[in-house]
Amino acid sequence: MTGRSTESPRAMRTSARDRAGGLRYAVAFVLAIAALATLSLYRETMGFPMFYLVLLTTMLFWVTQATSWNILSGYSGYFSFGQAAYVGVGAYTTAVLYGRHQINFYLTLVVSAALCAVLALAVGALAFRLRSLRGEIFALLTLAVPFILAALARIRPEIDGGQGVVVPIPPFPAELGRFQDFLYLINLLVAGAAVAVAFGMQQSRAGWALAAIRDAEDVAEGLGVATFRYKLQALVTSAVIGGVGGSVFALQIGFVAVESVFNLTIPLFVIVMSVLGGRTHWFGPVIGVAFIVLLQDRLTASGLGDWQLIALGVVLAGLVIIAPDGLYARLRARPVPVLATFALVTAALWIPDLPAEPLDAILAGMLAATAVALWRPRRRGAVPQTRAAETSAAVTDADAGTPAVTAADASAVARPSDAAKPATPATEPGEVLVECRGVARYFGGVRALEDVTLTIREGELVGLVGPNGSGKTTLVGLLSGNLRPTRGSIRVAGHEITGLPPHRVAHVGVARTYQIPRPFASMTVRDNVAMAIMFGRSPEPLAAARRGAQRHLEVVGLDALADVYPSALNLHQRQLLEMARALATDPKLLLLDEALAGLNPAEIDNAVEVLRRIHRSGVTIVIVEHLLRVVNQLATRIIVLDRGTCLADGDPRAVMSDPAVIQAYLGKRAHA
Amino acid sequence: MITLQAALAGALIGGLYALMAAGVSVTWGVLRIINLAHFGMILLSAYLTFQLVTSWGMDPILTLVVTVPGMFVLGGAIQWAYDRLGISELNSLLLSFGLLILMVQAVSIVWSADFQRMHESANPYATGSVTVGGLVFPITTLLAFGFAVSLIAGAHVALQRTFLGRALRACAEDPAVAAAFGIDHRRIGTLLGAAAGATAAVAGMLFALANALTPASAFEWFGTVFAVVILGGIGHLVGTLAAGVLVGMVSGVVSVVLSPAAAPFVLFSAIVLALLLRPQGLFATRGAA
Amino acid sequence: MKDRKRRVVTMLAAAALLLGVGAACERKSDGGSTGGASGEPIVVGSTLSLSGAFAATGAIHKIVGEQFVERLNANGGLLGRPVQWIVRDDESDQAKVSTLYEQLISQDRVDLIIGPYATPNILSAMAVAERHGYVLPQHTSVIAPLMTYPCQFPAWSIGPTPNEFVPNQLFDALATLPNPPKRVAILTNQNGSTDFVSYGAGDNKNGAISITKERGLDLVLEVRYPPNTTDWAPIAAQVRDAKPDLVINNGLGVDPVNLLQAMAQLGYKPPLMFSLFPAPGPLLGLGDLAEGLLSVTMFEPNKAALDRLGPEATEIVNEFQNRAKAANLPYTAFETQAAASWTAWEILVAGVQGANSLDHEKICDSLHASGAKTTFAGTLEFDPAKNNFWPSNQLLKQIQNKDWVTVWPPDRAAAQLRAPAS
Repeated sequence: MTGRSTESPRAMRTSARDRAGGLRYAVAFVLAIAALATLSLYRETMGFPMFYLVLLTTMLFWVTQATSWNILSGYSGYFSFGQAAYVGVGAYTTAVLYGRHQINFYLTLVVSAALCAVLALAVGALAFRLRSLRGEIFALLTLAVPFILAALARIRPEIDGGQGVVVPIPPFPAELGRFQDFLYLINLLVAGAAVAVAFGMQQSRAGWALAAIRDAEDVAEGLGVATFRYKLQALVTSAVIGGVGGSVFALQIGFVAVESVFNLTIPLFVIVMSVLGGRTHWFGPVIGVAFIVLLQDRLTASGLGDWQLIALGVVLAGLVIIAPDGLYARLRARPVPVLATFALVTAALWIPDLPAEPLDAILAGMLAATAVALWRPRRRGAVPQTRAAETSAAVTDADAGTPAVTAADASAVARPSDAAKPATPATEPGEVLVECRGVARYFGGVRALEDVTLTIREGELVGLVGPNGSGKTTLVGLLSGNLRPTRGSIRVAGHEITGLPPHRVAHVGVARTYQIPRPFASMTVRDNVAMAIMFGRSPEPLAAARRGAQRHLEVVGLDALADVYPSALNLHQRQLLEMARALATDPKLLLLDEALAGLNPAEIDNAVEVLRRIHRSGVTIVIVEHLLRVVNQLATRIIVLDRGTCLADGDPRAVMSDPAVIQAYLGKRAHA
Repeated sequence: MITLQAALAGALIGGLYALMAAGVSVTWGVLRIINLAHFGMILLSAYLTFQLVTSWGMDPILTLVVTVPGMFVLGGAIQWAYDRLGISELNSLLLSFGLLILMVQAVSIVWSADFQRMHESANPYATGSVTVGGLVFPITTLLAFGFAVSLIAGAHVALQRTFLGRALRACAEDPAVAAAFGIDHRRIGTLLGAAAGATAAVAGMLFALANALTPASAFEWFGTVFAVVILGGIGHLVGTLAAGVLVGMVSGVVSVVLSPAAAPFVLFSAIVLALLLRPQGLFATRGAA
Repeated sequence: MKDRKRRVVTMLAAAALLLGVGAACERKSDGGSTGGASGEPIVVGSTLSLSGAFAATGAIHKIVGEQFVERLNANGGLLGRPVQWIVRDDESDQAKVSTLYEQLISQDRVDLIIGPYATPNILSAMAVAERHGYVLPQHTSVIAPLMTYPCQFPAWSIGPTPNEFVPNQLFDALATLPNPPKRVAILTNQNGSTDFVSYGAGDNKNGAISITKERGLDLVLEVRYPPNTTDWAPIAAQVRDAKPDLVINNGLGVDPVNLLQAMAQLGYKPPLMFSLFPAPGPLLGLGDLAEGLLSVTMFEPNKAALDRLGPEATEIVNEFQNRAKAANLPYTAFETQAAASWTAWEILVAGVQGANSLDHEKICDSLHASGAKTTFAGTLEFDPAKNNFWPSNQLLKQIQNKDWVTVWPPDRAAAQLRAPAS
């Protein structure tokens, strides 16, 4: 994913700065809304043309809808094609209740919100519970919903009388001015609220959770993020905003029939505007809307006639190609040149009255600014040196006596290296931590695990080994709650975890890493680890979590890279990040799934040292590894799996010289 | 009896839906591209069919000789462009949407927005039918079904038996590994896009046989086509065919038994259920394409 | 890849520049020539559905408008001044209609406006017109009860209660046949206008359905279908099995074409069929299948009608045909939609001339007081109590020998109503 820049990041925010930043935003926001409101309230005094107000009203409608879409789909990555459902429900509710039955208009806004919330709850409760739900499936589900609602309106023509409903102008305070003023102000209110909610959500815990879900949902789940709850929250919020926006839309079009609201324009353009603007940020949709609505308006007014849509298609296609991450990201990268260009070009055309219509000047300014924003000169970033590298060098020196890794596992199996340091457990094996009884897991016809019974005690460092396909990763998945056992039960720290969702298992005290590291790409290294603290067993607020993260980064040696984004890390560093993140959940049990895959010898030694440190701090570790040298160095106990069953279990030396084990690995050739 | 007739006609016309959907489904499943421009290609072929028949008096089915190669090239070119640009799944939706707007507008400029329909004298297939027992098989639907079955069956066999087919499936499963085995992702993708274009040409011709054309038609197909794609399982050809038939049948039967307005309601509700219960598609078997 | 991006960025920048320059030399959109008239032009603004779902008919209105304005200007313009028409594409999108009319009125400050196409759009435009007090001549809104703005003026001859007028006129005409139909099937498109004619609206629930029963006829089939129906076989099969004498399809666009085709595929042709708002062209391409099909019309360019109306009408009709051909329209006859469009323009002109001013209140009053004289619809009178819907002078038309001819009422028809071939 993602085009995050790798240049040295802006300030690492301290908590005070965070608060100040938040306050600044809030003030700016209120000022912006107030300024926009004066355009209408003091319109006549200022001589502000009515039409601009109308155009802004259209923009505000789209801001509401695009923000609504973004809250779910941009933030969480679950794309929805069903925006028309909310607009439709909202518009119809207002049209029918107010237009047909003369119920108070403002009350209908509340009813719309409620109906949309119910709709979202129903869809979410069904869709998000499914473990097999891929993002595409959800998108298609949302595509179907508006069709169902439209068909419902057709089947029951009593709802709208069969021919559509005229929506009269509701009573509003005369001081506000004319109807267009009222419409503008109410749209401003709704859009402002929408953006405020989006902003608030992004900064909040929910925002972080959604970002994590977007980047790597099951990893987030494993860290303790209650993904179902946050997704549902986003869905319902999105629905309520969309619905209220739809109610106000009914006022704008004045006549509501099925085709007015259940069409393809709304869902498609909402996506266009959000994505072009930048969909992971609350401000993205605003930019996207401003650009697209103005562009469409100017094209329509341009007299290009038939060619206006062709121009639109070209621009859309062009923008998608050039700025796939959206304009906002580019704007943020270099705000000064972009804004300056906009101001200059607009002024250059406006002041001498060059185009008859100032809006043309503004559009030209926007286009020029876009071009500047998209210009990306070639640049190579240096891959930062890491303290980890230094550490691994130090470790290698210290281990000078260690023989070089031999390619053959066999020799390691038969003759554990003399100089290898056997692991010294921090404490003697203590209470029973993990208890598996009769655990089996089938995938269709494949029996990945069959009747596995084992016990792991606190303080152990268990090496889980076995040939490929023996079920190691499956067992890890079962212990972390990612998989449910087909049979049998698993208890961790006295809790029965069979059937618990992964985030609850995480709260019981289990953490796992992945063989292929899966960091949250949109967050810095520090924030990746902070996530674990924010959502772990003892949750903390962001600022404190970041401080705690720093400590964990020190343990693994990544503290110098704390502000870097994961895309800039090499494999080893990413694996260390995985470990740090897992560690940060304050686990009782740490499951490492081939955490050392793909590393060179120096890196391996470094990693081993890190693991020792972790173990010494009191964490029970289960490590799945192919590298028997490593397992020998670390493990207090080895469990060998073969084709889903437990082949051997016990002291490393004994297990490794067990002929059955050797046979499982090497076939009948025995080694002395 | 009337229900049976409706079911039958619906099942046959489902072939057209399946043919329209096949191109979208396969490029989505294999190449991870949601290609809305496919609808533009169907529209363009339909209009080309109309024009060739009206200006040169060609038999409508024979126009395939021109439209299939044409759309083959266009489809391949579009896919090559997507690949070259390295576009992501969501962005492919947006890019193809832009392309679709372009194509629809181009059609509107050339042929005007008014309804165009092949004259009855030029199009002998429109009103013909074959009657067996009490049941009527309209020629246009028979053609649609016939083309759909043969094309999809043929494609399915090609995917299963030929090297090319296996290469495609490998690409779908794991492009990186496939590349390691020497399978050129771009060439395969272009070929697939071209094949999808060819199916679009046939679908367009079949649509023009039985309908009046207007540029806005392209957008009217979205609902049905995506319904078929969902039910059939993204990327599964045979599933798409079965789903098309099912969609046609359900629509037809519900139209008669309940009301025509109820048909989309039942259909899309069924889709929601199907997605929740069997997200991989009603007819998908593991790993088949 | 970066080179490519840079190239595209450069192109985008160039485009920005071009747009800026282009905006600087802002084109005047579709205007007429200004022969004979002089001075500051009177600007008429409107939107039309030039793309999207309604574009098929929008194209006709565009040609008519251009033709009218040119002709007007050649004959001295309006109040001695040339007329310029600004038309914007509303893309068949209601939300755009409101915004664009607002733009035309407040921003471009057009002097006059004229309506868009299709009822939902007309309703949205009407709301804007009402807010600004602009007179709105509109072509084709059928749902008369909804058209409550006193200064909107319909140009379509459907009358204030089309839900009663149309079915009654049809049945009256059919009653003169040797064997008037007794079994009736009614198929209704759920689009607002067509649904209204079948089922009425609000307090007035009269419509084709109720009138059929009132007249003691047998309603053998009643089907309501959504506008985007694609599979007509089920409906066709139901019609066939119901064995009606008369099929009333209150539908629009290509509904009757699809129906007739689907029925033909079943080997069935209804003895008599009526379609409410069909697209006229495609039906003619059906050959024998569509022979005898009835519909409503405001005007057909039949020789008898043209003879009666005079050389000017003939000239207009021929000119339209030429323009339509040049625009690649498949059906180039000047008929109902075009006539309604022309009439709307004439209403606008009559109002301005009657008031001798561009003041909208005066125009509105003038039209209420004196009505309008039109080429194709005769003299119109506007009664606000009836939402300005003048008594209908609609005709029935029928496809005879592969062409549309007016057949009812007999005093204005160009041909005789043909009974179904038995």
